Amino acid sequence: MSFDYSKEIPIIEGGPKLADIDDVIARPLDTRPDRKFYIALSITLTMLAIGAVSLGLTFYYGIGMWGNNQPNGWAFDITNFVFWIGIGHAGTLISAILFLLRQKWRNGISRFAEGMTIFAVMTAGIFPLIHVGRPWLAAYLFPYPNEHGIWINFISPLIWDVFAVSTYFTVSLIFWYVGLIPDLATLRDRTAGKIKKILYSIFSLGWRHSNRHWHHYEMVYLVLAGFATPLVLSVHTIVSFDFAVSVLPGWHTTIFPPYFVAGAVFSGFAMVQNVLIFVRKIFNFEHIITINTLERMNKVIILTGSMVGYAYAMEFFTAWYSGNPAEQFVFINRAFGPYAWAYWTMVSCNVIFPQLFWFRKIRRTIPYMLIIGILVNVGMWFERFVIIVTSLSRDYLPSSWRMFYPTLTDLGILTGSFGLFFTLLLLFIKTLPVVSISEVKSVLEGAQPSHLHNGSEEVISHSSNDSGVNHA
Amino acid sequence: MNPNDSTENFAKNISMQEPIKLPGSINITGWILLIIGVLAIAISFFVDRERSSFNLLIMLMFLLSIGLGSLFLVALEYVAGAVWSTPVRRVSEFLSSSLIFLPVVAIILIFNMHDLYHWTHSEYVQSDKILSQKTPYLNYVFFIIRVAFFIGIWLLFYFLIIKNSRKQDKTGEQVLTKRNTNLSAAFIPIFALTITFASVDWMMSLEPHWYSTIFGVYYFSGTVLAALASATLIIVLLRQKGYFPVKLLQDHLYSLGALMFAFINFWAYIAFSQYMLIWYANIPEETSWMLQRWTGSWKFVSIGLIIVHFIVPYFALLSQPAKMNPKRLIIMSIWILFAHIYDLYWIIMPTYSRDGAVFGWMELVFPVALVGLIIVLFSYKLRNNNLVPIGDPKLERGINFRL
Repeated sequence: MSFDYSKEIPIIEGGPKLADIDDVIARPLDTRPDRKFYIALSITLTMLAIGAVSLGLTFYYGIGMWGNNQPNGWAFDITNFVFWIGIGHAGTLISAILFLLRQKWRNGISRFAEGMTIFAVMTAGIFPLIHVGRPWLAAYLFPYPNEHGIWINFISPLIWDVFAVSTYFTVSLIFWYVGLIPDLATLRDRTAGKIKKILYSIFSLGWRHSNRHWHHYEMVYLVLAGFATPLVLSVHTIVSFDFAVSVLPGWHTTIFPPYFVAGAVFSGFAMVQNVLIFVRKIFNFEHIITINTLERMNKVIILTGSMVGYAYAMEFFTAWYSGNPAEQFVFINRAFGPYAWAYWTMVSCNVIFPQLFWFRKIRRTIPYMLIIGILVNVGMWFERFVIIVTSLSRDYLPSSWRMFYPTLTDLGILTGSFGLFFTLLLLFIKTLPVVSISEVKSVLEGAQPSHLHNGSEEVISHSSNDSGVNHA
Repeated sequence: MNPNDSTENFAKNISMQEPIKLPGSINITGWILLIIGVLAIAISFFVDRERSSFNLLIMLMFLLSIGLGSLFLVALEYVAGAVWSTPVRRVSEFLSSSLIFLPVVAIILIFNMHDLYHWTHSEYVQSDKILSQKTPYLNYVFFIIRVAFFIGIWLLFYFLIIKNSRKQDKTGEQVLTKRNTNLSAAFIPIFALTITFASVDWMMSLEPHWYSTIFGVYYFSGTVLAALASATLIIVLLRQKGYFPVKLLQDHLYSLGALMFAFINFWAYIAFSQYMLIWYANIPEETSWMLQRWTGSWKFVSIGLIIVHFIVPYFALLSQPAKMNPKRLIIMSIWILFAHIYDLYWIIMPTYSRDGAVFGWMELVFPVALVGLIIVLFSYKLRNNNLVPIGDPKLERGINFRL
C-alpha cells in the first residue's frame, strides 16, 4: 500500500462546486419522504409504542413490573441511562473537542453527531425520572425553596447528575442551534415553499452571510466549543461518580472517571459510524462523508476501545494486588460467576473485536465496520449491565444474594428507548440539514481558510518571508 | 518557496544551511552542572544513603518522564499523522535519548531497594497477611525482571524509531514514515502497559498496602507534561536565538502551548478523580496514602501541589495570546518541569519522611545533575544530527502549517 505523506488527503472527494454542496445536502429536505422512509418510521414508531405501553404499565402498577429486587435496586433503568448518556458523548467530542483540535475531517459529520447527542440525552433523561418511581415529583430534584422545606442532598452525585446532564443538554442544544443558523439562512434563500420560508426566516435570525456575522459566529462557536469540552468530560465523570463514590467492590475504583469517558466516546462513535453508513448511502453523501472519514472514526473506536480494555485489565490487576478479598471476589465472580456470559460478551465485543480495526482493510470496508460498530454497542450496553448487576446481586452479605432477571416490561422500555432515539433521528433527517453546509464548504479544496499573522512584531517578519506568502 | 517544489528540492534547501552550532558555553555549563551534580550525589550517598535513594528515585522517574514521554510524543506524531510537529520532532527525538541513561540509575536503585521498599523486608512481609499475599508480584527477582524487561523494550523501540527517522534524512524514502507509523502503533499500547506497571513498581509499591487503579494514568499525565514542557522549552529557546533552520510561526508555538494547557487540565482531572473518590468513599485501605500527605508540614506541600501544578499554569496559559507568546511559553515550560519534580517529590518523599516534609541540599543536587545531563546530551545530539528531519515527506506541510 503506497501512500504519499507529502500531500494532504482531501476531506471532500471529487471537488464538487459550492452550489453542488447546497443541492446535495438540501435534497432530503426538498423532496417528499419516500416509501423507505415511511417503512423505517413505522418500525421505529412501533418500537416507541412498545416502550410507551411498558412505561404505562410501569406508571399504573409501579416499578414492581421491572425485574429489580433486593439487592438489585439498580438494573435496566440505570444501565439504559448510562448507555444513552454515553451515546451522546461522541457528538460533543466530534463537534467541540475535534473542533478545538482543528480536525477538519469532523466537518462532514459534526452536525449529525450533534443531533445524535441531543436525542441520546433526551432518551437518557427518561430513565432517572422513571427510576425514582414517582416521576411526578421530579421537580424536587432542583433546589428551590419550597413550602415543604425539602432540600436535595447536595453531596450526592445523583444530584450532580441532574445539574451536569441538564447543563450538558442546554449547551449541546445551543451549540447545535448556533451551528445551524448559517445553514438555515442558506435554506431560507433557496426554498420555494411559503411556510418553510417563514420558518427558516425566523430561525435563521436574520443571517445575511455578512463578514460581521461570520466574525461573531466564529467567536461564539469557539467559545461554545470551549464550554462544551469540559462539560462532555464532566457528564460522564459524574455518571461514573454515581458508582465510584460508593464502597461497593466493583463500583468503587479510582480509574472510573476517565474509563467511563473513554467508554462513552467509544460507544458513541460506534453509533455515529453505524448510522452515518446508512445516511451517506441513502442520500448520496459518499463524497462528503468519505471512507477516509469513516476510517478515522474507526481509529478513534480502536483507541477508546483499547482504553476501555486497559481499564478492565487495571481493575482486574488491582483487585488482585489490593489483597482485599471482597475486591477479589467481585472480579472472579464477574468472570466466572452466574453472569459470566454477560462479562465475556462485554470483553469480546469491547476489547477483542475492535482490535480487528488494526487491519486497514477492515477499517475501510463498510460491512466489517458496520458489524464491529454494532458489536461495540452491544458490548457497551453489557458493560454497564455487568458493572451494575454483578456488583449488586452478590454484595457483602451472601445471605442476601439474589439474581436479577429482566421482565418483559424491562425489555419493552429498552426497545422503546431505541424507538424514541431513531424516531427523532428520522424526523431530524427530513427536517434539517444533517450535514453542515457551511462547514463542508470551508473544507473544500481551495477553500481552506487561513489567516494572516498580525499583532506582534516578530510575526510580521515571518509572514513577509517566503513561507508566509502562499497564504497571504 | 514555491509550493509546487518537490520534497527533494525542499530538503536540499534546508540541508544546505550551516550546521547548527550552539555556543560552546552551553555545553560547558552542562558539563559543569553534570560533574558537580554527580559529585554531590556521590557525597550525599555517603552522608545519608536512605535519603539519597529516595532522591535518586525521584530523579529516575523524572528521567523516565523526559525520555519515555518524548518517545511517546514522537510515536504520537506518527500514529496521529500530525503535520505541524514534524519540523520540531527532532527535539523530542533528541530528548528521548535520555532513555539510554535509565539502566545506570535503575541499577544503583536496585542495589538500594532495601532502603526504599518495605516489601523487601522479608521478616516484615511474613508477619503481614496482605503483604505476604502480594509476594508473587512484589519480590526481588520479579521486580528486577520487570525493570530489565521494560527498559529493554523501551530502548528497542527507541533505537528502531530513531534509526528510521535518521535514515530518512539521507534517503527521504516515504516507506520509512510508513514503517515508523507501524512501529509507533505497536509502541503505544506497549507504552501504556509498561509505564503503568513501571509506576506501580517504582512508586505505588513504596506504600505496599495502598492501591489505586488510576495511578498509572496519573503518572502518565505528568510524564506527557514533562516531555512537552522540555520540548517546548528547547524549541522556543532555539527559535528565539535564531538556531532553528526553518521558520516556526506562532501557529507552531500555539500548538505546543495548547497541548501543554490540555495536559495541565488532564493532570488535574486525573488527580482530582483519584483524590475525590478516595476522600468520598473514605475506606481506610485507601485513605492512608492521602492522610500521610496531610501529616505535619506535608499538608502545605499538598496544598502547594494544587497551586503549582494546576492553578498557576492554568491561568498562565488560559488565554489564546498566552499560548503563543514565546516568553510565556519559556517561563511556563520551566514552571511545569518544576511542577513535575514537585509532584514526584509529593508522591515519593512522604515514605521517607513520615512526620513532615524535608528539604535540603540533597534534594537540590539531584535535579542539578539531571539538568546537566540533559544539556550535555542535547548538545551532543545537536552536533551529530540534523535539527530538522530534512527527509521527512511531511516536513514541507509542517512548515507551511497554519491553524
